[in-house]
Amino acid sequence: MKESDVRQGTLALMVLKTLDVLGPQHGYGIARRIEQISGDLLTVNQGTLYPVLLKLMQEGSIAAEWGASENNRKARFYRLTRQGRKQLQTETRNWEQTAAIIERFFSAKAQDLE
Amino acid sequence: MKSVRRLARRMLSWASGAGDEQILQAEIDDHIERQTAENIRAGLSPDDARRQALLKFGNVQAVKDSYRDQKGFPAIDALTRDVRYALRRLRMAPAFTASTVLTLALGIGATTSIFSLVDAVLLKSLPVADPATLYRLGRESHCCYLGGFSQKDEWSVVSYDLYKHFRDNTNGFAELAAFQDSTPIYGVRRAGDSTPAQVYPGEFVSGNYFSVFGVGAYAGRVLTQSDDQPNAPPVAVMSYRLWQERYASDPGLIGSVFMLDEKPFTIVGISPAGFFGDTLRNPPPDFFLPLNTEPYLDAEADLRLPFQHWLELIGRVQPGANPQAIEAQMRVNLKQWLQAHWGEMNANDRARFPEQTLYLAPGGAGITSMREQYERWLQILMMASGFVLLVVCANVANLMLVRGLERRRQYSLSRALGAPLSRVLRAPLAESLVLSLIGGLVGLPIAFATTRLIVQLAFPTFPGIGAVPIDASPSMPVLLFAFVVSLATGLVFGLAPAWMAARVDPMEALRGSSRSTSRAGSLSRKSLVVVQTAFSLVLLTTAGLLTASFEQLEHQNFGFEQNGRLVANINPRLAGYRADQLSLLYRRIRESIAVIPGVGSVALSLYAPPVAGWGSGVWADGHPAPSPREDNSSSWNRITPGYLEALAIPVLRGRNISERDTSNSPKVAIVNESFARKFFRDENPLGKRFGPRATMSREFQIVGVVKDARYFTTRGRGQATPAMYFTPEAQADYAQSAGALFLHDIVIAGKPGVTVSPSSVLQAIASVDTNLPVISIRTLREQVATQFTQPQLIARLTSFFGILSLLLAVIGLYGVTAFNAGSRTGEIGVRMALGANRSNIVRLVLKGSFALICCGVVIGLPLTLLASQLLTSQLYGANPYNPAVILAAIMALVLSVLAASLIPAIRASLVTPMNVLRAE
Repeated sequence: MKESDVRQGTLALMVLKTLDVLGPQHGYGIARRIEQISGDLLTVNQGTLYPVLLKLMQEGSIAAEWGASENNRKARFYRLTRQGRKQLQTETRNWEQTAAIIERFFSAKAQDLE
Repeated sequence: MKSVRRLARRMLSWASGAGDEQILQAEIDDHIERQTAENIRAGLSPDDARRQALLKFGNVQAVKDSYRDQKGFPAIDALTRDVRYALRRLRMAPAFTASTVLTLALGIGATTSIFSLVDAVLLKSLPVADPATLYRLGRESHCCYLGGFSQKDEWSVVSYDLYKHFRDNTNGFAELAAFQDSTPIYGVRRAGDSTPAQVYPGEFVSGNYFSVFGVGAYAGRVLTQSDDQPNAPPVAVMSYRLWQERYASDPGLIGSVFMLDEKPFTIVGISPAGFFGDTLRNPPPDFFLPLNTEPYLDAEADLRLPFQHWLELIGRVQPGANPQAIEAQMRVNLKQWLQAHWGEMNANDRARFPEQTLYLAPGGAGITSMREQYERWLQILMMASGFVLLVVCANVANLMLVRGLERRRQYSLSRALGAPLSRVLRAPLAESLVLSLIGGLVGLPIAFATTRLIVQLAFPTFPGIGAVPIDASPSMPVLLFAFVVSLATGLVFGLAPAWMAARVDPMEALRGSSRSTSRAGSLSRKSLVVVQTAFSLVLLTTAGLLTASFEQLEHQNFGFEQNGRLVANINPRLAGYRADQLSLLYRRIRESIAVIPGVGSVALSLYAPPVAGWGSGVWADGHPAPSPREDNSSSWNRITPGYLEALAIPVLRGRNISERDTSNSPKVAIVNESFARKFFRDENPLGKRFGPRATMSREFQIVGVVKDARYFTTRGRGQATPAMYFTPEAQADYAQSAGALFLHDIVIAGKPGVTVSPSSVLQAIASVDTNLPVISIRTLREQVATQFTQPQLIARLTSFFGILSLLLAVIGLYGVTAFNAGSRTGEIGVRMALGANRSNIVRLVLKGSFALICCGVVIGLPLTLLASQLLTSQLYGANPYNPAVILAAIMALVLSVLAASLIPAIRASLVTPMNVLRAE
């Protein structure tokens, strides 16, 4: 798997989680939030967010509509759909499982692996 | 599931198009605005804020591209873009586009036209249900009447008795049908109608014929087994074609009574539209009659003669049955049947008994007599049109190369800027494909018109009688073929410029030189011209050979005089004449015509040239009986006095038949030279006797020997003249079949220099009997020429192809020479400045073209010889390596091509050195 694939996959998950926590957001808002949390993963190329948003829209996990933002500027808001919520739950479970297994391996001592 | 949804969304967004781009732009703008605002709040100056925001966002264009790649179908978008671009470029060069499309249309049209003929004659199945389970008896068609109890090579026609034997004893067939192998004509009129009878072809078929084919009636019903019983009321099925064309689809016809040869038949139904029976033939039958009505119509009753074989068999095998097993069983049945008739077999038949065998062949395509006849022709035509197409491709490739040369800088620039090879190739390839597809589209109407024309020319029809059922209208396989050919053509000629584009050196663009005529470029153009020349040579030679052989056929010494003679074709049987009324009828006809002013001689005969007559065995008295291996066949004809005079066939020895040969005088015959040689070698045949059967070897006494004349049986073309004997009409020979009493042809010879008009002949015949239908009347020359229709057509078509490809080769060479000369202006200018005069320059340029032509001829010659080899069988004995023809073709090629390159040569020599040197 290419680096970008991994990053796209994780990015999608982050978008979903952000929308889940913050509620409907516009593109900039999502980018800022992800940047805040992930540190320097997204500091340089915020633009890569938009293709990911399109992909999620095509899959039906998020939906977009035009609305007014805080200073009454027209912006495009994204929100999580029910399917998106379900997907988030599934993905979260998968990640947690994977993390748990890896964690077990990391903490295994030599004698456990005989 | 996710991916399916994504695909669906993708299709939707592709369909919704460009609006989304604007939305994205708005979003990006908004995003950057917000980031800028944020940066300003953090303390940066507005300019810095904006710059930082942009940097943080990343490459806008890359984001847009990535976005776009996810939307819609990028591949299709790219394709549409390429096609639109290609169309735009083509629109900008109308002359090039028009000429290229036209050239392509001609090539693709010609090939498609030939293919639609191939499809109709060779590939199509019968319009019947499930043709794959049909099997027929006989691998080849051995038309039409055979007698006796042995058949050479294989049994293909059977008698009614043998058919019944097979039908009842072969359980591999679900149904086995029999049908007549020819379509004799009948005089037809509606009962109660007083108009004279018209002639139409009919066919005897078994009761299960229609059910074997799985076709039902269009209206009314088809024949059934109960109609095919000895005492069943006579019924018939009419063809859809006749019903529609002559009787305007009148439903009242069904159930009405029609008189066929003055015998009443009830029409019970109409066969389906498009159903032409079991054989693709000209003309197709208009009436289907049950086998058991044959004795009703023909007093001779072939039906009842177990040794008279006149039926073909076709059957539908049981599901899952093995055709080989059925074939084996039928062979056993055949031997059984022969043994049951051992007592009736003659010595020859008995001797040949062990070899008697038969074969089953797939019957889905019907009886193949037409296919066999035309298969070779169609193959030749297909190859010729393929060659023309290749020449067309070469021409267009050349043109495309020139265009490509103009864009070399563009290509090298693109390559230098990093465009991948595939991207650079896409444009010229798209252009080629678009051109060829348009060419194919334009070629379709040309193809259909050509096919129709060819069919009309090849199968001349008589008014009122059905035309050969070749469907020349657009059909799926033909359209598909045209599309595939267009695509292939586009690829073939598109490869050249694409390859040229690929080999471009990016450094060239950077060097900025415009004087780049790389050697490689002109090499491929030159080789294309060489290829064109070679193919044109092959086509021209082929055309020349076929034309030469056709001329030879047409102008051979026939042994009889063709000019100033008329042949009228009658059939007294149709007017209900009985055998005993015939002699008087013939006498009255002769007398009536003889008084027309200008008539030199008139006679009736069984057949006039080019038909040879009927076949017969010959047993010469005093000679040992022919062994089974020996061929003792001869053609024979029955004639009235005046026949030989009418045809100007000289009597070499003895005498002609005359009025003194009557039914009361001894039976005589005259023979031709071939007959005398075949049966009597060096002896004087006069006074010797022979007969048509072993028991009748003293039947006829030979009283005269005539010069050989060339007749044509269906297979005897180009071979030695067959043996022939003539018997007088007055000496009716009831031992031969009674059908021979009905003479068919009237030969009328005008006095030297006088042309007899057909209408006067018709009047004379009408004055004898107004009800006697004259089926046709034409000059003897026309009649003899009918058998040359196809060779003539083929010769004409290949000549047309040859000339077409010559034209294309000439154009190709002109283009190459002009281009080369044009790019050498610098060199020419220098040469002229150094003292070369005009003729030197002309010679210089011509030398180049001459070299090309020579290469072309050298390559083309072995191909030509190969093609001639393949043609041999179609040349009727003409020499396939005829040096005159080959030389003529080469000369024609060389001269026309040289003439074409003369113009650019002269143009090149008119260059003024000063202008050229100044431009350097």
